[in-house]
Amino acid sequence: MAGVKTTPEIKEITKIERIGAHSHIRGLGLDDTLEARAVSQGMVGQKDARRAAGVILKMIQAGQIAGRAILLAGQPGTGKTAIAMGMSKALGEETPFAMMAASEIFSLEMSKTEALSQAFRKAIGVRIKEETEIIEGEVVEIEIDRPAATGSAAKTGKVTLKTTEMETIYDLGQKMIESLQKEKVQAGDVIAIDKASGRISKLGRSFARSRDYDAMGPATKFVQCPEGELQKRKEVVHVVTLHEIDVINSRSQGFLALFAGDTGEIRSEVREQIDGKVAEWREEGKADIVPGVLFIDEVHMLDIECFSFLNRALENDLAPIVVVATNRGITKIRGTNYKSPHGIPIDLLDRLLIIQTKPYSEEELRLIIDIRCEEEDVEMSDDAKELLTKIGTETSLRYAMQLITASYLISKRRKVAEVDIEDVSKAYSLFCDVQRSSQFLKEYASDYMFNEIKATGDAQPMES
Amino acid sequence: MLRQGGKSTSFVSGNKKSVHTTFENGSELVEEYDLRTDELLVRKRRTKTTLGGEGKWEYLVGDAPVHFNPDVSTIAESSSNPIFSRKDTERHFQWRIRNLPYSADNYDVSVDHSDNKVVIRTKNKKYYKRIEIPEMKLLEASLVEGALSWHHANNTLVVSYQKPSEVVDLEIKDKAERRKIKTTKDDGDVQCNQQ
Repeated sequence: MAGVKTTPEIKEITKIERIGAHSHIRGLGLDDTLEARAVSQGMVGQKDARRAAGVILKMIQAGQIAGRAILLAGQPGTGKTAIAMGMSKALGEETPFAMMAASEIFSLEMSKTEALSQAFRKAIGVRIKEETEIIEGEVVEIEIDRPAATGSAAKTGKVTLKTTEMETIYDLGQKMIESLQKEKVQAGDVIAIDKASGRISKLGRSFARSRDYDAMGPATKFVQCPEGELQKRKEVVHVVTLHEIDVINSRSQGFLALFAGDTGEIRSEVREQIDGKVAEWREEGKADIVPGVLFIDEVHMLDIECFSFLNRALENDLAPIVVVATNRGITKIRGTNYKSPHGIPIDLLDRLLIIQTKPYSEEELRLIIDIRCEEEDVEMSDDAKELLTKIGTETSLRYAMQLITASYLISKRRKVAEVDIEDVSKAYSLFCDVQRSSQFLKEYASDYMFNEIKATGDAQPMES
Repeated sequence: MLRQGGKSTSFVSGNKKSVHTTFENGSELVEEYDLRTDELLVRKRRTKTTLGGEGKWEYLVGDAPVHFNPDVSTIAESSSNPIFSRKDTERHFQWRIRNLPYSADNYDVSVDHSDNKVVIRTKNKKYYKRIEIPEMKLLEASLVEGALSWHHANNTLVVSYQKPSEVVDLEIKDKAERRKIKTTKDDGDVQCNQQ
C-alpha cells in the first residue's frame, strides 16, 4: 500500500528580537534633575556612575564639546556595558552611537588606525536634507504567494496601492515581502515606501476604513488617502554618518564598481574632501553636525600605537565623545613592557574623565535578577530568587543570570509553571561557576593533558 | 538644447550613435540616435545625489529598461500597469501610455498652469500622470491648451503637444551642432586574436 503523502505544515515565523545580556536596558534611569532613580529603565544601583553618565549625556546633547573621553572602570559584571547601552538608548535614534570591542581593530584586511578612523567617523552624524523617491498610497490589496512545495523556491508577491487619483500594482522583492510582513501591513493601511532603501513607514489607516468593525488598538491613527501621483520625490531630513558618506564617495564609479569588493581602506584624500564639503554645507546652512558617541569596550586590548592615535584623534574638532570601558587594574600596556593603571598610558588617562562602577549590593542583585526574570519570561518563586541572589553574591552576577534560563528549562521538565528552589540548585549542581571549576582543576591538575612533566621555574607569561 | 553647458563626446556603436554629455555639477546626459533616420531613440539623464553617490537614470525619451529580480530588488511597478514613454516627432512632443484598455471617454487631458505641466486624469481613477516638459522648462515658456491634443486607440493613449517654433529652431541648430561633435567608431565586437 502506498503511503499517504503529507505536506508538512508551513509555519509563518514573525521575527522576534532575541534576548541579549543587556536587552532589558532602556535608558540611564535618571530623573529631570539628573538624580539616579533606584530602579528605572532596567537600571539598578550604580547611582554615582549613572549620575556621572547623565552629566556626560547632557554634554553630548549640547553638542558643543568635541574630543572628550570618558573611562568606565570597574570589576567584571558591574554594569559598565549596561551604562554605555543606557547612554545610547537615552540619546535616541538620531544620535549616532558606534559600539565596538577593542579587539575588533586587529583585522588582517585593514590597518589598526584605519579601523579606528572608521569607528570615529561612524560616531559623527550629519543631518542633511536629501531628495528621495517615495511611493505613498493606500493599500488596496496585498497578495503573497508561497510556493506549494516547502523549501527553496522564493516567495512572490504583489501589492496594489492607490491614491485618490490612481491605482498601481507593484511587484515585490524578497526583502520587501519580509518587511511588509514584519510591519503587518494590510489592506486599508496608508504606507510610504522609500524606493531606494525599501524602508516602509506606516502612516496610519485610511479614513475610508474607519467604519470597519475590526479590532484595533487605541493608537490607530486615521489619515486621508494620499492625493495625486503614487510616486513622488520628497525631501527628507535624515542623519547619515561621516563614514557612510566616505563609503558612498570612495566606491569606484562606472563599470569598475563591478570589480571593486567592499570598501576596505578609504583614502585620506577622500576624507579630506568630504570634511571640506561638510564644512561648506554647514556654512550654507544645509547641514548640521550631530556629534555622537564612540564606545570602545575592553579598551585595554588596544595597543600603544592605537593609544597614541587616540590622543591625536581626540584633538580633531570633528571628534565624537569617546567612552571607553575596562575591567583591568594596574596592568601592562599592550605592545610595551610598561605597567600603567587600567593598561592605558598616563598621557591618555590624563585626558579621560574616569567613572568608577562598584560591585552591586545584595539588594541590588536581587532587583537585577527580578528584572532579568521578567525579561527572559521566567516565573520564579521568591525562595528561588533568594537563592540566586546568594549565588550571585558568592560567585558572580553573570553566573547567577546564566542560571535563570537554565533552571527554567529544568523546571519545565517537571511541568510546573514556576521555577523553584530545587530547580535552581539542580542547575547550580549541573553547571560550575568559575571558582568551583578552578578548584576542580587544581585538584585534578595532574590528570589533564601535558602535565606528565612538572614545569620547572616560572612559566613565561604570554606575550601579546 | 539640453546639452548646453556641458561637454559632449560621441561614438557610434552598432546602428546607433550615442552622444554623452557631462556637466560641471557631475550630472550626465546620454542621447542615442538612429544612424539611418537620425531619430532620437533614448534620452536619459542623471545627477549626483546630495551625498555624492550616483543617481538613477531618468528617462526623458524612450523606455527605461526594467530590471526586477525578486531576490534582490525591493519593489517595482508590475508589467500589467500602464507603461509611459515619450517619443517625439518632428513637430510634436509626444507621449504614449500603453496598456490602457479603458474607452476614450474615460480620459481627461489638460494643462495645469500652476506648475506648468500636462495632466492626464482618468474618470475611473485608475491612471494619473503629471508630465513635465524639460525643453519648455528650459525656455521658461508656459504651456497653452491649444497645442495639446490626444487620441486613444489600440489600448494606447497618445498625447501630443505641438512644439513652439523656438523649440523647432533650437532643435535644428542642435542637429547641426551634433554633426560637429567628433565621433569615434566603437565596434562593440573587436576581433580579439587569441594566441
